[in-house]
Amino acid sequence: MRALPMGCRVEVSDGHDRRWIGTVVPRHDLSGDRILPLKLENGYNVGLRIEPTFTFRLLEGVPATVMPESLPIASSTLPVTDSPFVTLLTTGGTIASRVDYETGGVKPVKEEREVLAFYPELQNAGRVRIVPVFDRLSEDLTPEDWWVLAEKVVQAFREGACGVVIAHGTDTLGYTAAALSFLLVDLPGPVVLVGAQRSPDRPSSDGATNLRAAVEVAHDRRIGEVVVVMHAGLSDSRFAIHRATWVRKMHSSRRDAFESRNGPALGFNERGTIRFDLPPRPPSAGPARAEGPIDLHAGILWFYPGLTPQRAAEYARGLRGLVLAGTGLGHVAANHLDWIREAVERGVVVTMTTQCLGGNAAPYVYATGRELLRAGVLYLGDLLPETAYAKMIWALGRASEPSAVARLLQADRAGEFGRRHLTGGDQ
Amino acid sequence: MKAGLEVHQQLATGKLFCECPTELSEELRGSFSRRLRAATGENHGVDPAAAFQASRGLLYRYEVGPANCLVEMDEEPPHPLNELALDTALTLAAFLHAEPVDEIEVMRKIVVDGSNTTGFQRTALIARDGYLEVGGRRISILTICLEEDAARRMREADGEVVYRLDRLGIPLVEVATGPDITSGAEAREVAQEIGALLRATRRVRRGIGTIREDVNVSVEGGHRIEIKGVQELGKIQEYVDEEVARQKLLLEVRDELVRRRAHVTDHLPTDVTEVFRGIPTGPLAEVDRTGAIVLAFPLAGFAGLLKSPPGSEERLGREFADQARAQGLRGLLHSDELPAFGMAATQVEEVRSRLALSESDAFVLVIDRSRDRAEAALRRVAARARVAVEGIPGETRDPLLDGRTRYSRPLPGRDRMYPETDIPPILLTKDRMSRIERELPERPTALRARLEREHGLSAEIVRQIVYSDQEPQFEELTRRGHAAALVVRLLFQDLPAVGPPAPGRPSFEPTTETLDALLTGVERGRFAKEGIPTMLATLAAGAPDLDTAIERAGLSGFTPDDLESLIDRIVRANADLVRTRSADAFSPLMGDVMREVRGRRDGKEVADALRRSIARIRAENAS
Repeated sequence: MRALPMGCRVEVSDGHDRRWIGTVVPRHDLSGDRILPLKLENGYNVGLRIEPTFTFRLLEGVPATVMPESLPIASSTLPVTDSPFVTLLTTGGTIASRVDYETGGVKPVKEEREVLAFYPELQNAGRVRIVPVFDRLSEDLTPEDWWVLAEKVVQAFREGACGVVIAHGTDTLGYTAAALSFLLVDLPGPVVLVGAQRSPDRPSSDGATNLRAAVEVAHDRRIGEVVVVMHAGLSDSRFAIHRATWVRKMHSSRRDAFESRNGPALGFNERGTIRFDLPPRPPSAGPARAEGPIDLHAGILWFYPGLTPQRAAEYARGLRGLVLAGTGLGHVAANHLDWIREAVERGVVVTMTTQCLGGNAAPYVYATGRELLRAGVLYLGDLLPETAYAKMIWALGRASEPSAVARLLQADRAGEFGRRHLTGGDQ
Repeated sequence: MKAGLEVHQQLATGKLFCECPTELSEELRGSFSRRLRAATGENHGVDPAAAFQASRGLLYRYEVGPANCLVEMDEEPPHPLNELALDTALTLAAFLHAEPVDEIEVMRKIVVDGSNTTGFQRTALIARDGYLEVGGRRISILTICLEEDAARRMREADGEVVYRLDRLGIPLVEVATGPDITSGAEAREVAQEIGALLRATRRVRRGIGTIREDVNVSVEGGHRIEIKGVQELGKIQEYVDEEVARQKLLLEVRDELVRRRAHVTDHLPTDVTEVFRGIPTGPLAEVDRTGAIVLAFPLAGFAGLLKSPPGSEERLGREFADQARAQGLRGLLHSDELPAFGMAATQVEEVRSRLALSESDAFVLVIDRSRDRAEAALRRVAARARVAVEGIPGETRDPLLDGRTRYSRPLPGRDRMYPETDIPPILLTKDRMSRIERELPERPTALRARLEREHGLSAEIVRQIVYSDQEPQFEELTRRGHAAALVVRLLFQDLPAVGPPAPGRPSFEPTTETLDALLTGVERGRFAKEGIPTMLATLAAGAPDLDTAIERAGLSGFTPDDLESLIDRIVRANADLVRTRSADAFSPLMGDVMREVRGRRDGKEVADALRRSIARIRAENAS
């Protein structure tokens, strides 16, 4: 059975009257023991439990690999015209993934032609240059990759792009978006992160509609900041434009998983018409720059009842900056004050955000907050823990003195602060 | 000819990949809209049926109700496959002597007509190679599958198709027979027998639309045609017979086309809009009214084969019109039916001369505001005409109410299926299979023998019971002590006689409890069995309970004394009749009396009372 190559057509017999004819297909990694998966003539896959008495007859060998023909328009052959173009950086993730029939999971595509195979409409647009950067799921991306992306964005603008789209896995898309907001300065156009909650091998994938909406936003001349464009509801017609520092993935599977916290999104792209409810940061004259370096001695610690001070102190060891996601207005248990005080004295920049993921971390309301403030904890208002973490990585790279890092953290850099917290229409 | 069936039965086990109920609902909680694309499959191929649907570029709107969660909306990965539904499919496999697979792999079958929010239908092969005995013949069972039902199509307008999600995800057991069926009548019998086996699992949904059949038909020299979604079992025979006739006719036409050396050119269509200005009514009025264009396309050697002489069957004209409709046009006009629709013979001649046609040539006209769409429609017609010279194209057809069918889309191919990676494979264990065997419900044959024995019913009536949806209700009601004859009359005579629901009212599907109460009412003399139809109509009209229904139907408070005085009044009013016809007066008077009794007293009681009354009057007259 092991000798049967994938893709060959076989006849399997149990030595009596049972017979199966089919094509050998990859085994699912959760298949049972001694199971041979066959694609039968009627198109169904079934698993056959192979007994020692079974016999096999090879009917046809493995056919030549059927791959889509190599598609035209590679980045190097993009026609030279004066019409503005958008550079699409791909990093992997669902939006640029295919089903892996071997493992049953989705795997990122690596090449431009594979991207075009999924989104042939990009070919017709003629205004998109595709640059594959990574082929990884977003949970596998690291802060070093954020820096690589920042440099690729700068390069794209230098080469004349009017905007940049980054196709990214949705799991950590919010982190990357926030990090790029801090790393990139003097943006002459939009940097749009986009993802998909359904893989492109499904007819119902949101990849194509999201990508199209993102490319449209990337052509908009009013934007000079990093934004995230994803479904604004369950329909394929309305897409929200989120400021990168405000957005968070709030659902594991819905198309409209991304939400701007603490208030509305910047605007919407509805069937190609882009409207802003809040003014985006205007484009700069350029040239775009990436401001580094970054420093990875940072971490997020989510406080929970039962977290011991020892464990927390252990986590903070070796860090230069720590983002606490505290309860409510930004609290931790009183018995944590000692290690926090010691960490601050060692030079660790300890900051506070709220694990409510909405509203301010505010130190003055309760005694705990006042104690934490006295211990040297820096309260970061309504910054999301992830945004605070991304900003920390940038700030630690930019300054060495804790007081200087603190000043960078507290100053607005990408429009992340100063949000008015309003009620929605329906109260 | 040979035919095969695919029977699809909904299960009442809860949905296949989530925990939503399997009941349909009129309540709406919102809607959303989507587009679907023809995605590439496992082998990077695009399925022809999928590409066809995607080419229509429609927007799909989905209505969401209380029977839906994020799974049906394609907003959450599917939950594990419903174990009870799987057991039901395995039970059916045991009934049909089919061999279950060792490990089940759930597949995605690409369907981009919008009926599934995902763009595919999840389906799994459960068992294969079984058989069924019908009328002494052995019919092979190729496969037994478990799949999810599609969303309900509500309407289509302005490029938007509206579906409701309540039905999406209801488990369907699909039984596919081999191409062993040799007549329309046999197709019906096989469908009935499979239906009885499905109901014998005791886990099926009942009512209209819960069982649907696809019929595959081909004749010698023809091609497989799939008639999809026949809901009325009784019509299977008609569809098969009509399809056989259609295919035979098309083969005759083919022979004639070959004899004439008919052919279809690669020419571009000719714009003949100018020829048809100034026509005030009919399809060609669109030219002046909306600026529609008219395109003509020649069919060399096709004259007389598009439409037959009056009274006989339509030929290729209808096939071509279906192709135009598939492209979104209302239809087309062809030369065999012209001049008509307000045009003059000279205009037909003008088209013929512009296309340089000879007597034996035909042409078709399409009228549309969009040139692209009109040209696409003619490309379809040309492709269909080329196949006509070769024979019959394999295709999927929709059943129509009149027993005929209409082109729907090309037959799907193998590229249509690829693995559903969100669901791990399911290993069928020996324990599970032996439990299925151990708990196997009563087979229909055993059930029939038992019903005949227990209730003394005729084989014909028992057959009717077992082939019907109401068999479980029959069993339950007789178990509760109601006479079998009375239950049969209620379920198979009175209930089917209840008309369709008034607009806006749900269809009438009384529970076993309601029927039990109804029969108890008869047995306790609250109203007569003749009153059952009136009672059912009253309940169907919305009476909330039995007492209210009796009241509204006017069946209450009619005592034996009331009956006596009613009869007395009628007999005395007809004293002359009684005098002249004596005992023969009974029949006409019985009719009059029953009309007024309106089911409030039992027929036999009425008859006895009437006979007594007639005798009394005659005695009075004699004295």
